[in-house]
Amino acid sequence: MTMNSTQASPPDIVVDFSASTQSLGALREAAYRVIGQAACHIDEADGRYVCRLSPSQPRLHGEELRSHFLNLVTDENLREKVSGETDRLRDVIVALAFGSLAQEQ
Amino acid sequence: MAGFASPDAFCPETSALQLLPIRFERLDADRFLVGNMVGDLAEMTAAELDRLCTLDIAPGDGLYERAFEKLFIGAVDERAQQQLLALRLRSRLSFLRAATPLHLFVVTLRCEHTCPYCQVSRQSKDRVRYDMDQATASKAIDIALCAPAPLIKIEFQGGEPLLNFDLIRWIVVTAKQRAVRRGKQLQFVIATNLALLTDEVLDFCAEHDVLFSTSLDGPRDLHNRNRPRRGQNSYELAVAGIARIKERLGADRVGALMTTTEASLGRVEEIVDEYLRQGLDGIFLRPLSPYGFAMTTKQFHKYCGQDWLRFWKQGLRYILDINKSGRRFPEFYSTLMLRRMLSDEPIGYVDLRSPAGIGLGALVYNYDGTVYASDEARMLAEMGDRSFALGNVDEHSYRDLVLSDTLVSAVADSLTQTAPQCSSCVFEPHCGADPVYHHATQNDVLGIKPLSEFCLRQKGVLTHLFELLEHSPEDAAILRSWAS
Amino acid sequence: MKPLVLLGRSPELELTGLGTQRQCWRLQSPHSIPASDRDAALIAHHHDWELARANGYQLAIGRDARPDGISLSYIRLPGGFAALGDGDVVGVYPQSGRVRVLYRRSSRHNFFLVTERCNNYCLMCSQPPRKVDDGWLIEEIAEALALVDPATPALTFTGGEPLTEWRRFVGLLELTRDLLPDTAVHVLTNGRAFAAAEVAKAWAAVGHPKLSAGIPIYAAVDHMHDYVVQAKGAFDQTVLGVLRLKDHGQRVEIRVVLHALTAARLPETCSWIARNLPFVDHVALMGMEHTGFAIANDDLLWIDPLDYQQQLKAGIEVLATAGINVSVYNLPLCVLDPSVRPFAVQSISDWKNAYVPECDGCSARGDCAGFFSTGRPKFSRGIAAI
Repeated sequence: MTMNSTQASPPDIVVDFSASTQSLGALREAAYRVIGQAACHIDEADGRYVCRLSPSQPRLHGEELRSHFLNLVTDENLREKVSGETDRLRDVIVALAFGSLAQEQ
Repeated sequence: MAGFASPDAFCPETSALQLLPIRFERLDADRFLVGNMVGDLAEMTAAELDRLCTLDIAPGDGLYERAFEKLFIGAVDERAQQQLLALRLRSRLSFLRAATPLHLFVVTLRCEHTCPYCQVSRQSKDRVRYDMDQATASKAIDIALCAPAPLIKIEFQGGEPLLNFDLIRWIVVTAKQRAVRRGKQLQFVIATNLALLTDEVLDFCAEHDVLFSTSLDGPRDLHNRNRPRRGQNSYELAVAGIARIKERLGADRVGALMTTTEASLGRVEEIVDEYLRQGLDGIFLRPLSPYGFAMTTKQFHKYCGQDWLRFWKQGLRYILDINKSGRRFPEFYSTLMLRRMLSDEPIGYVDLRSPAGIGLGALVYNYDGTVYASDEARMLAEMGDRSFALGNVDEHSYRDLVLSDTLVSAVADSLTQTAPQCSSCVFEPHCGADPVYHHATQNDVLGIKPLSEFCLRQKGVLTHLFELLEHSPEDAAILRSWAS
Repeated sequence: MKPLVLLGRSPELELTGLGTQRQCWRLQSPHSIPASDRDAALIAHHHDWELARANGYQLAIGRDARPDGISLSYIRLPGGFAALGDGDVVGVYPQSGRVRVLYRRSSRHNFFLVTERCNNYCLMCSQPPRKVDDGWLIEEIAEALALVDPATPALTFTGGEPLTEWRRFVGLLELTRDLLPDTAVHVLTNGRAFAAAEVAKAWAAVGHPKLSAGIPIYAAVDHMHDYVVQAKGAFDQTVLGVLRLKDHGQRVEIRVVLHALTAARLPETCSWIARNLPFVDHVALMGMEHTGFAIANDDLLWIDPLDYQQQLKAGIEVLATAGINVSVYNLPLCVLDPSVRPFAVQSISDWKNAYVPECDGCSARGDCAGFFSTGRPKFSRGIAAI
């Protein structure tokens, strides 16, 4: 089904996730990243997070928008995992870097 | 003689491995750019990225080696990887120690051009109203010389600075005298359209090692369309001026910058040809300036971003081919980005830093004594938005200005290291904050990066340069030579 | 092609009155009077004997049998021994009757072996480590240094691992600084000792005006480097050592020996050096000497240099454009890609340097490092006159 009319705006896409396996933080980050293509509203209902995407651009909608958003969520989930495992090390490295800067003063 | 151990004896167990802080960006369905805290980049498939993040890697599988070389992983009991990252991070931030190397003196607002995109000039003969006076200049010099940077660069701006050449002369001489007492080195540049270049000016600049920076937007019709003046001869005067400076002072004493307008977008090869024809040593394919456009139309997320990227990529391709045929001719925007990507040395480019380079990198002393955090901040003020006015030369010292609430909060609030999306962006080590731009276009110094043309442009440029470095060996060799 | 003979058993050793301990002697022409009580007369002609006696020498050194009636103590050099000259220093070991050249004034490549002990065990080691109690070597060097010409431009300390007894070695560096203030000193070390703060600090505290450390790094990957040097954790310690030395503002050279295990990832290794250690003073990319352990591990290590020229070229390009000094050592010019040749240095020590018949008539011979004459030389299929 294609949208070839520029008069009617494309319909919203709805994507939902299980709240027990999908973190809300990652969803919010994905919503932030998709802002240029769609407004994203997140609701919680029956143990699920429901994301409603309203396309703001004619070019990206329907299946493409859905899969784009799913990719963003996948990426944010991975970022969250990496961050959890490496933030402590990042702080150590930053402290080492600034520690020596301070020493030089 | 004891025996030799096999390779297995030297492989850390998977349980002894740890992931180091990494970022990544999806390029397409199955391609990712992965990077570390100091900007080393590698390309990976989704499967490789997953394996990296779950440490499902083993010595000898190729992925382990790539990841280790790029400081994405280390062994739990090893310290070298972290020490290297810390040392390099320190180098990358060492620009903080040489604060405010650049000082712009707006010696007059008067100009004899009427460029439609310019926000900062006045068609006027009123010298009293629109020229900087000596008292103001004197205080500005003293403030500039307080900056910690050992080398202070003073750039004369306007309007058209040569309309107040007497003051330029006075500033150069006075600053030199005062700099000696402070143990500072000085460098001077005049940013001028060259229409008013005289032998007197050339003589002075020869004697005092003053450099020139001029505008050359492209071939004659393009340049003159962008830069109207009475007589419609801006191009002729600029070109003649460049030739005179080269002859009198030397080719390395004059640089040219282009102002990119919508009219430039389809003509990059002609613009490059014009620069070659004038014997210039390279070209800076500058981004479109949003200020006039954004302020009048409030449209900040237009097609321009992608169009400019196309313009720049096409220009870069053309320039790389010129270099391949034997003529060294760098594209300076790429060169700056390449220096960020290929080394940890500070590069002296104040416009792309986090903490932002406003105030900490540059200060602008307006003709009326107001001090701004950057030239763009001054432009904004001329259009009615004084958000980035830090103070004035009569009441404030250098410390007052750089420690002003205005500056501190703008810098702190726009830090990429802590911003959403930026803090996890693979390009963050090579990027910077632009609080003035984001304030002008989004009314927020941090900006929502997914909506920012600045972000779009940076990602586009850095991705493109990475791909050339990684997949086009001939282009890569030329790019590396520019950065060295 | 054989290396110079610098060690051998003397066929005639007469050291009455000079003791039975090991001793160092400096050779001098008998025409001058001895400058110290460690100077020996170098006998070149028959009439040198009378000159030596008249000038008061206690000891003579020569190649022929001592004539009858001469009362001077005497060391006869073994047959085939390298030619020696004025200012050269030898070590003499009366218990075993051996003589060893410690220093040749006319050579550009003087090195002192500090110890045969080492905490690495490199697959290609040209001086295989031995667990021996050879701490006396440092004392011998100290004695020899007093006899070395202060005009010597450069000296190298090698091993084994010179920092095995690091405190004593630092003392040796101080002595070198005081006795030979104008001589550049290069130390070949695996660098691991510098991971300890006190060692790096002591090294820097010597305050030597021209001291540098030559430290091998064979890969930018821990297990690969560790495998080549046969020591787990070596990469980590070596890199930390380099960083500590540089924290103290010391001169560091990174050395990479080129063989099958290092050549494959050479471009990546060089990129890693350019990005992570851009402050090193020099990078030496070195052809492998086919001696010692390299022979035993030939099947793992041998690669015709022609087959890694692309990697070498790529590695050099990255280092050079990053502004790092880089040189190629120990490879003949004919096997190098023409773009690599400008980086080649005539580097093989004169005492083990040789050429092959293909070199006759080569236009570049004078600039070429030639080949190692040590061990069992293996030659590239690419050798040809230029």
